[in-house]
Amino acid sequence: MNKALTPRPQMPMGVLKTPFHERMDAENFQQSWMNWNGYASPGVLDTAEFEYFAIRNQATLFDISPMCKFRIKGPDAEAVMNRMMTRDIRKQKPGRVSYVIWCDEDGNVVDDGTLFRRSEDEFLLFCQEPQLLWIKDVAWGFDVEATEVTHDLAGFAFQGPTTAATLRDLKIRDVEEMRAFDIRDIKIAGKRVMISRTGFTGDLGYELVMAPKDALAVWDAVYAAGQRRGARIIGNEALEMARIEAGFLLPRVDFISSQTNLRVNRARTPYEIGLDWLVTFDKPHFNGKRALQRLAGVAPKRKLFAIEISRDKAAHHALVYHRKTREVGFVTSALWSATTKRNIAYAWLEAPFGQIEKDDLWVEIYLQREIEWQRRMERVQIVERPFFVHKRRTATPPLNF
Amino acid sequence: MSGDFDAIVIGAGHNGLVAAARLAKEGKRVVVLETSPVVGGLLGGSDPVAAMPFGIHPKIHSGLGLARHGLRYGAPMKTLSLGGEGRVEIDGAVARGVSQAMAANYADLHRKLARYSGALARMLTKAPPRFRDGVVGDMLTMAQLGLSIRGLGKADMRDMLRIILSNVWDLCEDEIGDGPLAAALAMDATLGGGIGPRSPGTVLTLLYRMASTGSGGAGQRSTPVGGAAAVVSALVKAAETSGAAIRTSAPVARILVDDNDRAIGVALENGEEIRAPLILSNATPRRTLLDLLGPQHLNAEDVARLRHMATNGMVARLDLDLAELPAGLTEADLAHRIVVAGDMRQVERAFNAAKYGELPAVPAVEFTGRKTENGWRLAALAQFAPSDLKGGWSKAKKDRLAKSVIKVLDGAIPGFGGKITGAEVRSPTDLEATYGLTGGHWHHGELRIDQMLMMRPFAGAAQYRMPVAGLYLCGAGAHPGGDISGLPGWNAAGQAIKDGGAQ
Repeated sequence: MNKALTPRPQMPMGVLKTPFHERMDAENFQQSWMNWNGYASPGVLDTAEFEYFAIRNQATLFDISPMCKFRIKGPDAEAVMNRMMTRDIRKQKPGRVSYVIWCDEDGNVVDDGTLFRRSEDEFLLFCQEPQLLWIKDVAWGFDVEATEVTHDLAGFAFQGPTTAATLRDLKIRDVEEMRAFDIRDIKIAGKRVMISRTGFTGDLGYELVMAPKDALAVWDAVYAAGQRRGARIIGNEALEMARIEAGFLLPRVDFISSQTNLRVNRARTPYEIGLDWLVTFDKPHFNGKRALQRLAGVAPKRKLFAIEISRDKAAHHALVYHRKTREVGFVTSALWSATTKRNIAYAWLEAPFGQIEKDDLWVEIYLQREIEWQRRMERVQIVERPFFVHKRRTATPPLNF
Repeated sequence: MSGDFDAIVIGAGHNGLVAAARLAKEGKRVVVLETSPVVGGLLGGSDPVAAMPFGIHPKIHSGLGLARHGLRYGAPMKTLSLGGEGRVEIDGAVARGVSQAMAANYADLHRKLARYSGALARMLTKAPPRFRDGVVGDMLTMAQLGLSIRGLGKADMRDMLRIILSNVWDLCEDEIGDGPLAAALAMDATLGGGIGPRSPGTVLTLLYRMASTGSGGAGQRSTPVGGAAAVVSALVKAAETSGAAIRTSAPVARILVDDNDRAIGVALENGEEIRAPLILSNATPRRTLLDLLGPQHLNAEDVARLRHMATNGMVARLDLDLAELPAGLTEADLAHRIVVAGDMRQVERAFNAAKYGELPAVPAVEFTGRKTENGWRLAALAQFAPSDLKGGWSKAKKDRLAKSVIKVLDGAIPGFGGKITGAEVRSPTDLEATYGLTGGHWHHGELRIDQMLMMRPFAGAAQYRMPVAGLYLCGAGAHPGGDISGLPGWNAAGQAIKDGGAQ
């Protein structure tokens, strides 16, 4: 056969399976799968409600392997991360995690993520969107190596009130001293695991990261130990409910990354998203600093608000009105929060609504009841984020539940 | 803010000197810091790289009183195009040595291009408009360009907009036909750039060059009495009589920035620090921002734009020594610019090779010359000689280029080869090493539609102001670009003064 015609090895077809796939598949009664960054990720395994209540009352395992992951290593790693992020990374000590955002030259948010400082000269960045080229552009001219490790690291979030007790059962002594946002290197089932006290749920929880070859051993050990305390595997739907309650925002849902928007004026600044608490000017130049300094002085043209809505119907995709007539915004994420017993949502409101004009705001909710549609105008109240955060999230040492 | 000076100009090229002179004339205390022992940049030294300058813009000439400082011009330089069968002489709109029909067509074409370039010329003496944020003044500048094009009349406007982004090959084929005359125009349209006659946008580069009005009028090179050195000396005098200090052999290592994101001075390579609240850099955009300022002061987007700026130098400089002139070349001829390229096809072929990192077998050449103690010295420019030559530049490659250039000249001027007593080649990489020219590109960056006007040096950094407050770009990398007009330096100094200068 002609050598030129010999088929070359191809990329795998379709969605990929994460290292935890067979365990999730075995318990995925719904066989509901979503495509997350090219990987099969469970939407819901049993029912979203069971899984949601497991987050709030028991312990849950959620596969975060598909998350984009990058390693930044080298003598200039701190300088590069400090140059990329709006926070002062010089203050982040080795062994700590921080929630970060980064901006483009116009001060628009590119993405958010969690930054793990592994040592003086090594960071891991976990985020939603592919960012390797962005990191490399920021790192140009600096002595640092940036690599994508998305496929080289497996991980799962272990979240819920009974997680600490489960880890105690596994004889993980670090649990006693780990404060929120601490990182430790531990062993589970004899395998090396990076554990951090972080999460997406506003409650006690951990994230465990390990080599893909060790993934099942660690998962099995944690899952087995958790059975006494109600551990279950959860999918995206339940997590989505918890993340809305916990006050976290999702790129592509609540805002658009400035690297992916097609229409002008769709990119959003930290001041509009309400993440300006992550921006500090008391540090050397960082990407977008000059634009952000200009933006800091003016009222944003629109802002993302946490809102509470009367009655119990979630205001998915609803429009927001002033005096029930003038359209002033729209809802991005909405939920009837079973834990807080509040009807909550995030909504974009054009200035001055929400900022100065806070009264007489309404959402228009459409309800379908056995084919027939009903329209409801419900009152909106501007509230603070998060909707839910439990004190056991940060209590150290964590209590047994 | 206190400082040793009101302004520091990095680099004593002609643009740096123009900027320094203008600032000093406005009463600023200025120091010019030059890396090399001589001033003048590409115009400096006894055999300057830019041997045939287009000429300092009349506005600068009068603004700095250069006549008072001894700068005078002879008659505009004619062009001789020798590569073909006969000898074609071009003097503005007049072409001799071609058929009557071609001469008439050429006269029409030249007049037309001169009108179009006149519409463009108004843009050269202004800071280019910004598109971002819709600033009213910038919109007006843009509107003025529109108006001046509209002012040409409907037929001309349509024609200009039809040809402006097309290529010089098609234009010449349509209007005058190929041959040595067209080849000379093609040289004008492409010299210095990584573009061949068939590359889109070469009509624009031709118009742009014609708009760089020196004393010679549209598109003709000027003939300063005393050569390029006279231009440099007049600019030095203009700067120094206004009080500017010029320091040679004072290479700048770094631009200093304070905690408030302001440029506050420079550090020399010997460690000396000089402070001033205003810094104008005549170095290339990339050298200024990536080497002297450093990426840590820039957004990643700007760093990427700088990295991706087209700056591939395509011209090699040859100095050829001749014991005596061959029969086909007279002393009077050497007062002109002599182009040796038989037709546009030859120029395009030379470009084809360079495009892929090769040396052309038959380069396109232009030269001028002067008498020396031992005979004659010709200053030749050969294109296309890519700075990114495959395998890099070496003595063997230079010898090959010299040989091919001599062969071309010998073909056009019988007996030429036998008179050569010495040849020295300076490749684009040599120019980069000597003058700090990024990529050896003598315009500091390709002059093409996506790197002109508000896109020069790159989108978002036009108007001479660099991202760090107090830092300005005043060299050919800024609008309106190269060709020894002095306008980037003039405009940058004007912008700095307008912005408040040393406050």
